[in-house]
Amino acid sequence: MGLGLLASRALRSSRIFTSPNPRNAIVRTIVSTPELHNPEAAAAAQAQPDPPPTDLPGRTSVGGARVHFPNPEDAIEVFVDGYPVKIPKGMTVLQACEVAGVDIPRFCYHSRLSIAGNCRMCLVEVEKSPKPVASCAMPALPGMKIKTDTPVAKKAREGVMEFLLMNHPLDCPICDQGGECDLQDQSMAFGSDRGRFTEMKRSVVDKNLGPLVKTVMTRCIQCTRCVRFATEVAGVQDLGMLGRGSGEEIGTYVERLMTSELSGNVIDICPVGALTSKPFAFKARNWELKGTESIDVTDAVGSNIRIDSRGPEVMRILPRLNEDINEEWISDKTRFCYDGLKRQRLNDPMIRGADGRFKTVSWRDALAVVAEVAHQVKPEEIVGIAGQLSDAESMMVLKDFLNKMGSNNVWSEGNGMHPNADLRSGHLLNSTMSGLEKADIFLLVGTQPRVEAAMVNARIRKTVRATQAKVGYIGPATDFNYDHQHLGTGPQTLIEIAEGRHSFCSALLNAKNPAIIVGAGIFERNDKDAIFSAVETIAKHGKIIRRDWNGLNVLLLNAAQAAALDLGLVPESGKSIESAKFLYLMGADDVNLEKLPSDAFVVYQGHHGDRNVYRANVIFPAAAFSEKEGTYENTEGRAQQTLPAVPTVGDSRDDWKIIRALSEVAGIWLPYDTLSAVRSRIRTVAPNLLHMDETEPATFSALLKPEFCQKMSLTPFGAAVENFYMTDSITRASKIMAQCSALLSKK
Amino acid sequence: MSFTLRSVKVPPNSVSLQEARSRTFDFFRSACRSIPSVMEIYNLHDVATPSQLRSTIASEIRKNAHITNPKVIDMLLFKAMEELNNIVEHAKQRHHIIGQYVIGRGGLVQDLGTKDQGISNFLKNFYDSNYF
Repeated sequence: MGLGLLASRALRSSRIFTSPNPRNAIVRTIVSTPELHNPEAAAAAQAQPDPPPTDLPGRTSVGGARVHFPNPEDAIEVFVDGYPVKIPKGMTVLQACEVAGVDIPRFCYHSRLSIAGNCRMCLVEVEKSPKPVASCAMPALPGMKIKTDTPVAKKAREGVMEFLLMNHPLDCPICDQGGECDLQDQSMAFGSDRGRFTEMKRSVVDKNLGPLVKTVMTRCIQCTRCVRFATEVAGVQDLGMLGRGSGEEIGTYVERLMTSELSGNVIDICPVGALTSKPFAFKARNWELKGTESIDVTDAVGSNIRIDSRGPEVMRILPRLNEDINEEWISDKTRFCYDGLKRQRLNDPMIRGADGRFKTVSWRDALAVVAEVAHQVKPEEIVGIAGQLSDAESMMVLKDFLNKMGSNNVWSEGNGMHPNADLRSGHLLNSTMSGLEKADIFLLVGTQPRVEAAMVNARIRKTVRATQAKVGYIGPATDFNYDHQHLGTGPQTLIEIAEGRHSFCSALLNAKNPAIIVGAGIFERNDKDAIFSAVETIAKHGKIIRRDWNGLNVLLLNAAQAAALDLGLVPESGKSIESAKFLYLMGADDVNLEKLPSDAFVVYQGHHGDRNVYRANVIFPAAAFSEKEGTYENTEGRAQQTLPAVPTVGDSRDDWKIIRALSEVAGIWLPYDTLSAVRSRIRTVAPNLLHMDETEPATFSALLKPEFCQKMSLTPFGAAVENFYMTDSITRASKIMAQCSALLSKK
Repeated sequence: MSFTLRSVKVPPNSVSLQEARSRTFDFFRSACRSIPSVMEIYNLHDVATPSQLRSTIASEIRKNAHITNPKVIDMLLFKAMEELNNIVEHAKQRHHIIGQYVIGRGGLVQDLGTKDQGISNFLKNFYDSNYF
C-alpha cells in the first residue's frame, strides 16, 4: 500500500511536470457520457412535466418469472421507471425491479443466499431519498418511485465499477471465467472506458481449497457469495472473511481444505474468476463448448445438468435450474465425475480366450458366441442383472429378452432379492423433494442423506435452517451438517419408537407434517420387510400418511432403481445367482459374484472396465449416459431424459440395441427396431416413465400392505455408501474422484 | 502442374454426340496404351494385371454412360485426360493407384453377403454403426 501510494504520488507529480498541457489531466474524467458530467442538472432537464400514464401495459418480468402472493392483502404497489407493479410486502427494491422487467446489475446479491449488500453495484435512485440506495438490501415500501435508468443511477454504477476494477487484475485473456464473467459483462455494460487509479493493484495469496476449486484470490471482489454459500447452503464453516479495508480477503481461517460435498457450486456463484474449476482450468473457453441438457445418473436424485462438450470430449458438467429437484446446485460427484468418462472405457467387443486374456472380436462373432451359449443352458439358469446406471429402455429390453428366453430372473442391483415392486409408494420419496420443505420433523432410518443423495440433504438442511425442524437419526454414527438427534444405531430404537416407548414419539405425534425417510440400504437386509412394517406402524400412529401429506419416504441410491421396480425387474427366486449358468450383466458392478458357479458364462455389457469385467467371458461395449438417449426415473418417481452430448467411444453401441441385436442372433426377435418402439412397449408396462419431467405420485399408500410378521434381527444398520466420491463405474474410473476420496473423505 | 497444362492443348468442343463418342474411344485407347508403362512406373505387376486395369478404366467410363450432353462429356474427358497425365508423369504414388484403381471403391473388406442373408435391416445397420 505504502509503495503504491508512493508510486502514484511520483506518477502524479511527474505528470504535472512533464505534461505540456496540465489542464488536460484535470479534464480527463471517469464519466464517459457527457450528459453524466453533471447528473443533477441533467436530471432536472430530463424531468419534464410528464406524469406517467396510469394504465401502462404490464411489463414482462425478468425471465418470465411470476410472483406468488402468499396473502393478497399484503400486496403493495411501487413504480419502477414509471410503471406500476404490484408486489407482495417484504420484497426488496431489486426484486420489485425484476418483477417490472428491469434487470439490476449486481455482484453480491444472490436470490438463494442471505443479503449482504456490500458490492453496491445495485444502486438505484429512489424518489425523496437523498442518495442512491442499494436496491438488494432496501425493502420496497408502498408507493415508492424507483428509477433505475437515471443519470444518478448510471453514474453511481460507473463509480462502483471503477472502484471494483481498481484492484481487479487485467488478466481476462488467461482467466477461466473469461466469456462468462459477471464483472466482464457488467463493466462492458455499465462501466467506464477508463479508470483513474494509477497505483499498483493489490495482490492476495491464493488459497488451497482442495482438488476441485482453483483459487486466484487477487481476482476476488469480496462479494462474499462463497462465504454465504458455504455457511448457509453447504453448512460448513470453512470459508470466511479475514481482515478489513484493503486487506480484506476470503480464506479458510487456518490452512485447510474445503470439505463439503457441494463445494463445486462456489465456482458457479463466484461472479469473477477468483474461484474456478481446477480440473477445467485452461482446458476450454465457454464459447467453444456445446451444451446438452441432460440428467445426472450418479445418484437417485436425477439432478438436472448441462453437459458441455467440445467435439467428442465432455469438458465439464454444470447444473441446470430445476426448483423441484436440485434448485441450482449439484453435488461435487455430479460435477466432477466427467473425467471418468474418458478412462477405463470398453471400446470393442471382446471374448476371453483359452489363455484367460481378452481378444478383440467383431460384433458378429461376439453376438454369435453369446447366442449359442444362451441356448445351451436351461432357461431357469439364465440370470440378468441391470446395473445402477441403466436406463429404463434398456432394462425393458433386457427383461423382454430374458422372458422370451424362458427366464424370469432379472433384477436391478441395489434392490435386494425380494424387492417390493407392487406398491410404488413402498419405494418412492413420496413427499417429493420440494415437499420436504413443508415437513417439520424428520426421522431418518438407516440413511445418511449427505452421502447417499447430497441434494436431498441440502433440502433437509434448508428446511431445518428455515423452520428449526427437528431431525432424528437411526443408524451408524455419521456427520450431519445440521442439528440432529442420534436416536440409536439399529432396529432396537425403531421398535421402541413403533411401540411408543421412545422419547422421540411425542415430538413425532405433535408434528404437523412429519416425514420419515428410509434408506435404500435396508433393501439388502434379510429382515427388510420387518423393518418396513415397523416403519409403517410408526406412520400409522403418527398420522404420517394423510390425504394432504404423505411423509413416508424411501430414499433410493441408484439412478436405475425406481425405473427397474416400475418395470417389474423382480427376481423369481432369491438364490438365482448360486444356480446361474448364464449371467447377463448390464453394467452391474456392485453385485457380489462370489457365489456364482465357476463354470457359469458371464456376459458383461457396459461402458467401463470395472469390477465385474474381471469375471466376464464376453464383453459388449455400451454407451455411457452422456452418449445415449435414455429415460431415468428419480427417487421421487419423476421420469427424466438424458440426451447424447458426445458420440460413442470406439465400436460401442446403445444398450437396448445390443440386446435387440442379440435377440435376433439368438433367433427370438424382439419386436422393436427404434427407440420410440421400445417406448411404446414401456407404455404397456409403466406409462408413467413416458410422462417426462412429471412426478407420478403413487396411487396406493403403503398402508394397504397386509400385516407382516417376521423376526427383526437386531444387527445395527450399516452405511449404504462407503465413499461418497466413488459409487459407480464412472466415478470409480475418475481421477478427480480418486483425489477427492483420498483428500476429502472423512476418516 | 502448370508444365503439364501447357502441354495439354484444349481441343474445341465437340459439335455432336457422335464426335464426343469417338473422342471417348480415343481417350480409352490412349489410356490402354499407357497401361504397360504405368505398371512399370508404379510396380504393379504383383498386385494387378493389365486386363484388370483395362476393365477398371472401362468401368470408370461406363459410370458416366448415361450422360448425353456433349459439353459435359468434354468436361469429363478433360478431367480424365488430366488424371491420366498425372498418373503417367508419376505425379502420384503407388498407394494412390492401388487404392483408387486396383482395390477400387469397395474397400479392402469385401462383404460377399453370404453371412448376412436373412437378417433384418436393424441388424445390418447395427453391425455397421451405432447411429441409424
